[in-house]
Amino acid sequence: MLITPALAPAAKARTHGAPGFAILALAALAFLTGCSGGTSQSVSTAVKDSSSAVATARIALRQDMDGKLTRAAASTTLDDELKEVQTSRSTVLKLSPASQEDRDLQKQALDVLDQCAAGFATARAALATNDGGTPSLSDGDKALAGAQDALKQLEDKVGSK
Amino acid sequence: MTSASAPLPEAPRAAGRILDAQLHLMDRQVLDHDGVPVTTVDDLEVGGPALDMEIEPGSPPPVLTALLTGSVLGTRIFGGRPPSSRLIRIPWKDVADVGVVVRLGIKGEPLDASWVERWVRDKIIARIPGGRHDPR
Amino acid sequence: MKRLLGVALGILTAIGGFVDIGDLVTNAVVGSRFGLSLVWVVVVGVVGIILFANMSGRVAAVSGRATFEVIRERLGPRAGLANLTASFLINLMTVTAEIGGVALALQLASSVYYLLWIPVAAVAVWLVIWRVRFSIMENVTGLLGLTLVIFAVALFLMKPDWGSLAGQLAPAIPEQETVWTYSYYAIALFGAAMTPYEVFFFSSGAVEEGWSVKDLAQSRINVLVGFPLGGLLSISIAACAAVVLLPAGISVTSLSQVILPVAEGAGKLGLAFVLVGIVAATFGAALETTLSSGYTLAQFFGWSWGKFRRPAEAARFHLSMIVCLLVGIAVLATGVDPVLVTEYSVVFSAIALPLTYLPILIVANDPQYMREHVNGRAVNVLGMVYLVIILVASIAAIPLMIVTGAGS
Repeated sequence: MLITPALAPAAKARTHGAPGFAILALAALAFLTGCSGGTSQSVSTAVKDSSSAVATARIALRQDMDGKLTRAAASTTLDDELKEVQTSRSTVLKLSPASQEDRDLQKQALDVLDQCAAGFATARAALATNDGGTPSLSDGDKALAGAQDALKQLEDKVGSK
Repeated sequence: MTSASAPLPEAPRAAGRILDAQLHLMDRQVLDHDGVPVTTVDDLEVGGPALDMEIEPGSPPPVLTALLTGSVLGTRIFGGRPPSSRLIRIPWKDVADVGVVVRLGIKGEPLDASWVERWVRDKIIARIPGGRHDPR
Repeated sequence: MKRLLGVALGILTAIGGFVDIGDLVTNAVVGSRFGLSLVWVVVVGVVGIILFANMSGRVAAVSGRATFEVIRERLGPRAGLANLTASFLINLMTVTAEIGGVALALQLASSVYYLLWIPVAAVAVWLVIWRVRFSIMENVTGLLGLTLVIFAVALFLMKPDWGSLAGQLAPAIPEQETVWTYSYYAIALFGAAMTPYEVFFFSSGAVEEGWSVKDLAQSRINVLVGFPLGGLLSISIAACAAVVLLPAGISVTSLSQVILPVAEGAGKLGLAFVLVGIVAATFGAALETTLSSGYTLAQFFGWSWGKFRRPAEAARFHLSMIVCLLVGIAVLATGVDPVLVTEYSVVFSAIALPLTYLPILIVANDPQYMREHVNGRAVNVLGMVYLVIILVASIAAIPLMIVTGAGS
């Protein structure tokens, strides 16, 4: 009994390995290049992401105050952005700074990010209390605005290096 | 050795159609008598002299005995050969027509080749409410 | 009159069904980071998807065979299996992203945590696939998806500076981005517009609905009118992000940021429309991608398939879709961010594009399948140009992903 294997696919199989190798090599190269970067780079990224998160939260709060956004959407937005800030904070926390200057930068970044988290806590509390109680929505907005300023200062400092 | 003036003898006329196994049969969809898909042709079983034996002059040509499906697809791609008793066959005598698809002359449901479909149907799909509901 | 209604329904369904979670997220991210400087990619993508949806629909209508049946016959089992594996895995990633998108939109509407919505969404997808007729499924989700036009409405209501918006259309790299991230997002946007599952779904859908040669004209109108309008919807999503989020220095990382511009322009009513639209569009896309998973497996292995058959007569087809949905739920249950899954799925879609489109291009030229309806010269030239574009995008995608750290 004969079963005829197709000859053409055998030739194709020999070239199938090559692209796999290329991808592996590229991945290894990239892993190695990605390892460098340093403390100020990571802090800069964290600051950028947190600025974006705080700005989003402020827009959401303002829209809620203007009656353009539902409570559900506003609180979901705040939750999403708080998660973003917390991710940035844990990234900065896990850094191992080499020099004293980097250590100072890390501490400063952690302080600013804590201020952001506190601002979010005020804002979320403001959304949760229905009408009138403290903190009010404008209190939440003020807290976030303060955090945004602190982030801007840190960004300028890191950028000027 | 033929000279330019003497013509080649005429090829013997074959009754029926001439098919290329690789082109017209392999990897083609198999439909049953009612047009319901059964499987694809994963491999072919050909009767005749074995692979490593000398072909004696005057022996009859190999004959296509069955369409194969199932685990032969894996061995066809990656190498190897399943034992003969494990092959899932659709006998060639059940094939009614070969065109863009291979049509069988019988119903596909009781075939060996449909055992997985029957098993999944009986054990899983038919147990879920609405499994036999006609969507039209 | 009835024919006119039929044509209108086809076009409207094509518009509403064009956008999925990949388009929503990628266009919003691009708008918030690059303004309108990548809109040309959407245009290129729309022309490409028109070309190939047309071809795959024609192949199915004329030959009566759907894509994957043809791939195995033309390319052989080894290449076909490689194609199947890659397409199936990427399809699975897209299913996961779409179900995640449905859950996120429902969270925005209700404040109930999205993880709780995931099983609800997946079961709803399964129920529709199990029971609802194909044409009803397509028409309802397509028409409801039209509410996404609220993005364009909100854009107009915000009265942006049209001059400066138009100025952004020139392909230029903004100063806070690099040429690498620009190219990476160009590929992502391209993959979001030219989703591979569209080809599988379109051709199998043609067989499901029993298209023949006389339906080709209708499908051509749907595609030629519907898809560009769908592309305009995508551009308006990017424009909304460019007007509201870009000046505030916000880069989109969650679905909540995508809808903020709509609330800005159109208030709570706009918010209601956009949430209905997102749920409908992602739900419809979840249906299409789940069905595509079933179609690709069944057509490769020769199983009986189709929503027009009783589930009991297409048992393995339905079982494979149930397994896909379960895998999607499992992946999302690990807590991975659905938006992240979406961003990866569009890039991987771009990588897998050549696998899907090359066979279609080959078969659309084969007279044994197509008889006299083979590709004309113009279509072939355009098809070859796009094949080059697709290959370039596919090859450049992974190196760019590595260099840019997946776009960050």
